[in-house]
Amino acid sequence: MNLFIKLVSGSIRSQMQYKINFLVSSLSYALIMAVDFILLAAILHRFDNVKGWNLYEVGLLYGISSVAITLYRVFGVEIHNFEKYMIEGEFDSLLIRPVSPLSLLLTKNLDLSRIGGTVQGVLILAISIIGLSLKDFDMFLLLVYLPISIFSGLIICFSLGLLTATIAFWTQRIKDFQVFTLYAPFNAANYPMNIYPGWLKLIFFTVIPVGFMNYTPILFLLNKGGTVWNLALPPAVALVFLFLTLRFWQFGIRHYHSTGS
Amino acid sequence: MVYWILLQKSFMRNLQYKVAHLINNAASAIFGFVFIAIWTGVLQGKESESPYGVLDMTYYIAAVQCILWVSGFLTAGLNIQNGVRNGAISLELVRPTNFFLYVTSQEAGRLVYNFFFRSIPIGIVFALTVGFYVPQHVPTYLFLCISIFLAIIISINLHYLVGISACWTTEISWAHFVNFTLLAGLGGQFVPIDFLPAPLSVITHYLPFASAIYYPVMIFLEKSSSSVIFIQLFWTIVLTIMNLWLTERARQKLEIQGG
Repeated sequence: MNLFIKLVSGSIRSQMQYKINFLVSSLSYALIMAVDFILLAAILHRFDNVKGWNLYEVGLLYGISSVAITLYRVFGVEIHNFEKYMIEGEFDSLLIRPVSPLSLLLTKNLDLSRIGGTVQGVLILAISIIGLSLKDFDMFLLLVYLPISIFSGLIICFSLGLLTATIAFWTQRIKDFQVFTLYAPFNAANYPMNIYPGWLKLIFFTVIPVGFMNYTPILFLLNKGGTVWNLALPPAVALVFLFLTLRFWQFGIRHYHSTGS
Repeated sequence: MVYWILLQKSFMRNLQYKVAHLINNAASAIFGFVFIAIWTGVLQGKESESPYGVLDMTYYIAAVQCILWVSGFLTAGLNIQNGVRNGAISLELVRPTNFFLYVTSQEAGRLVYNFFFRSIPIGIVFALTVGFYVPQHVPTYLFLCISIFLAIIISINLHYLVGISACWTTEISWAHFVNFTLLAGLGGQFVPIDFLPAPLSVITHYLPFASAIYYPVMIFLEKSSSSVIFIQLFWTIVLTIMNLWLTERARQKLEIQGG
């Protein structure tokens, strides 16, 4: 843990050497995500709701999903850009260190410019919670549960990222897979799962389990259906998925062949 | 002609990656399905309040997902920034070729490739699943060709503008992000611009972003008169002249530094 804090603080210091660049990139990243949400707000303002979910309710889903993926982009930047280790043959150097390759990757770098997106997600959550004007107990439950939901989302996102990175052991390039495994599912998870056709729903609740992080618990928290089990599922699914992904990652490392040059 | 050869070479280079691109096409189609599902959810039972029905929006999103590959997803800064960073730009600017055409013709080659190996396959996926609009009137096809052609030039110019700004700022990744967001957001990638709230819905019609995505799609769907081509033509001319002028300024700046 000590090592982790040292490595992370080093990474922060190095990025703070370029303050203006950091500020501008964070701001522009937040702007991008805000434009996305403003567009959604414009539609829902005009049409009132999407399959029974109003703007603030969708905002909750949207906020959880965007905070989760942006936190992953902050902490998992080396996992996300893992293909460069394969293409440039840098992975060998990670294997000979006394720390596991995964810990090295996680501590090597932080992409702080993505923090802007996290802040924007939190803002959307705040606006939505205020807009919902829930009863005291429901509000309390929601506030207590939100961090769990976000954390489950982060774990699911990280697992998907690692899963995709592992594919690089065989295919080298993974950018094209990421659209499949990360961008499209998280974009979809910004909206209630009940709008999707059956085959998409099946994917989002099995192989790419993004539906669990926000839709499942929020359904119960907003009294739209489900049972108390809806609250237990997200962390449980996240941990099982993480476990399976770590196994797959280990399997991938065993099958790693260096370039041999 | 050298620019034609550059265009062809760029096309051939992209052919090397066609398998990876075909996988990516499936992902692009999934994005389309997600957007279509959202619109279906929003519009169901409320079609009377909307200028577009569920089927209209399905056709709209399907067409947008296809055109994005020729006028939306361009190379960030057309890679001009790399030349600025490693100094290669000084050589590129003094070559006896026109730098603007040298850069844009290579991107054009990539976009021609995208049209055949991205737009068309994605269109086929939509045609086989949710349906794809087929223009009913013969003149539409002519207007569509002109409109797409102008949309490509406008988008290349917008990306060139971001790229050439590297001569002054070095770092362009944030400028590219902003440019892309405006292009997608105000160009109607997910929300047709007439759905936007009041002042925005009027202004966006006259911005270059709508000319790059929204107008060609509306002409294709036969929902817009062909006169919007004049707005596209206006932006094509303005942006091209501006970029040629900026290129000249960049060249002068370079000579001052190098002297």
